[in-house]
Amino acid sequence: MAIVREFKRSNLPVLNFGIQQAEKVLTSFPVQKPIPEQPAMGFFTDTSVCIGCKACEVACKQWNQLPAIDPEWTGTSYDNTQRFGANTWRHVQFIEQVGRRKPAQEKAPEPMVSVNANGQKKPNLDLPMFEEAFPNFKLNGPISEAPAAPAAFNTTLPFVKEDRWLMHSDVCKHCANAPCQEGCPTGAIIRTEFDTVYVQQDICNGCGYCVVCCPFGVIERDSITIGDGRAHKCTLCYDRLKDGMEPACAKACPTDSIQFGEVAKLKEQARARLGYLHEQGVEEAQLYGVDDNILDGGLNSFFLLLDEPEVYNLPKNPPRPMHNVMPTSFWGLVTAVIIGIFGILFFTQKD
Amino acid sequence: MPLFIRASHPSVNGEVPMKAMRVPELGTQTIQSVVTSIRETMEAPNKPANLLEWLALLTTGYLPDPEQEKDENSYYDYPSLKPAVWHWEIVWYFYFGGLAAGCYLLATLASVFGSDEDKKALRLGYYLSMLAFLPCPPLLIKDLGRPERFLNMMRIVKVKSPMSMGSWSLAAFGTFAGATLVSQGARDGLLGKWWGARLIARFPQKLITIPGSFAALFLGGYTGVLLAATSNPLWSRSRMMTAMFFPSAMSTSTALMSTILRFIRTPASVLHKLEKLEWINMIVELISMLTFLRQSGRAARPLVGTGPKELGPTFWRFMFGGGLVLPWFLQTFMLSRHKKHEQKAAKAKKNNKQSGKSKHFEPMSLFVSLLVLVGGYFLRKTIVYAGHESSKDARTTFWNARR
Repeated sequence: MAIVREFKRSNLPVLNFGIQQAEKVLTSFPVQKPIPEQPAMGFFTDTSVCIGCKACEVACKQWNQLPAIDPEWTGTSYDNTQRFGANTWRHVQFIEQVGRRKPAQEKAPEPMVSVNANGQKKPNLDLPMFEEAFPNFKLNGPISEAPAAPAAFNTTLPFVKEDRWLMHSDVCKHCANAPCQEGCPTGAIIRTEFDTVYVQQDICNGCGYCVVCCPFGVIERDSITIGDGRAHKCTLCYDRLKDGMEPACAKACPTDSIQFGEVAKLKEQARARLGYLHEQGVEEAQLYGVDDNILDGGLNSFFLLLDEPEVYNLPKNPPRPMHNVMPTSFWGLVTAVIIGIFGILFFTQKD
Repeated sequence: MPLFIRASHPSVNGEVPMKAMRVPELGTQTIQSVVTSIRETMEAPNKPANLLEWLALLTTGYLPDPEQEKDENSYYDYPSLKPAVWHWEIVWYFYFGGLAAGCYLLATLASVFGSDEDKKALRLGYYLSMLAFLPCPPLLIKDLGRPERFLNMMRIVKVKSPMSMGSWSLAAFGTFAGATLVSQGARDGLLGKWWGARLIARFPQKLITIPGSFAALFLGGYTGVLLAATSNPLWSRSRMMTAMFFPSAMSTSTALMSTILRFIRTPASVLHKLEKLEWINMIVELISMLTFLRQSGRAARPLVGTGPKELGPTFWRFMFGGGLVLPWFLQTFMLSRHKKHEQKAAKAKKNNKQSGKSKHFEPMSLFVSLLVLVGGYFLRKTIVYAGHESSKDARTTFWNARR
């Protein structure tokens, strides 16, 4: 620019005009200053306190103005969302574990029905027997009082021990090494100043490579016919973060199952929570994406799970797609060299 | 390495035997263990039902056990991956891209190392490569969600993204192929006889074709890397995808070239060279494919299995059997026959001088070329579509992610 100023001082009108035009052209390509670095932000989703209210799903849809999906009854659980999609960035899962805990040692099962001295059959259950109250029902008289609950009822319901529901609000993992970002050929997928993974909608041309790269099945290309044909996923509410607000799902979560904050601090919290749960005897609790170095760097959006990751539709330790580039190229090159050598041999041969 | 990684199945007395046969030191024991392994498989309740299932077991080493897979964790069997958005456009693009790259490489090989006859005949490759290249960009652009933004592919150069490198290699190859076409056209007098055409014809073509063949190498190979650098179990489990696609690109283009060369008068010596190269191509492709299937194991089920939505029947019939093994045997047979012919011709040559030109139109050779061309298409088709099925199989995805 100093040179330009020097030239400007010389009183050559034609040159001056040229320089003015050149300056105009140059300033139309402004070099922007990079945004100041922020601490990495992420989610900690603690499934042990999730109640499956789906407020996060709704809040996400509302804030990001995402259209509803076509309703479809799955018949498997209350999860009728089923999957992530271009328009579903939070997804609440319902895992129904019936008859989950098997007895520690194999015992001969107690007979379901026992026969008493009178030869009457009586079910062997420690439950209030409604047959005993039937005579009262038939008389249409008032039911005096509920039969006393058996002792087992005073602590916990028997089926809570055996069966349980796990609820889990799944979201984009904002991986430290995001395969979608590594695969993106246009540079549409970037890391923001908050270290989140973000799809720049004005650049994405819908090639769909991120869709096959994502090991969690998160990102999806919107339908070309109905939607805009571009790839969409959780933005970690980039617009809200810019204004110092927490993401919509974390804001809406009534039990603080979804916690938002600095990744380093959240990971500490997650470890503390895991320790507490282990102390309380919840031995099956485990962290996903915190210390396990998934995709060579862990996840910026991590989870506390009450079962194996696969139960929550999460791969235990997915391979990182980028690692395949070099070996695959190498073996391809080997075949090319073999074919090339034989080609040279055959073409130089004289018949 | 276990010979058959067999999933365990509860036997009659409640025991759960884990049967993973191990291949011991080479020797008679190896054969014995193979025999016992096969015998045990024959007795298993989930033994392969038909020939194709046997082929699937022998190549992948994985015998599916529905009982055991049922015990694996998953979330109502909902897919944990998203299927690729690639359909017929990409299959044809892989096919035409392979042909374009292969034809260009063959023509360059001949022009650098071949005799005058080879050069003259195989310059056809430069025309064919341009012809095969032409549908590629439209197919790829049509495949985009926002086709009008296709130029965004040229926005950045990203070495770790095969898609980005592929776009650049396609652009580079298109430029080289176009320049080669102009140069070749000028040499063949297609541009007229004015001074410009003569000037172009005098330009050393190798300055274009040698860097161009590197672009062609990239174009022919990157498609395999593109598939391998994903999270799809079938595509990414083994690292032999390019090693399979590149020989296939070479063999389909050799088949295409020799088919056309057979119809226009071409010296038999040139065709013979192509046949020999084709034979090598198929061997390399076969070895790569067997390695691929073996390494993929369970992940290869959608490609080799015969269950519903599995593409095994198409794969075995039109690709592996009809498109690779059968043409290879036919080619072997013809090459051995050719050798006998040659010996006879050499004897005859001593008696009376006769040129070594044999007949051009051989139905068997045409048949082999046709099989290879069809097989190359089905290789790409079955791999792309089996990939869709692979991404829907949550349990295999989790198996692939357990290391």
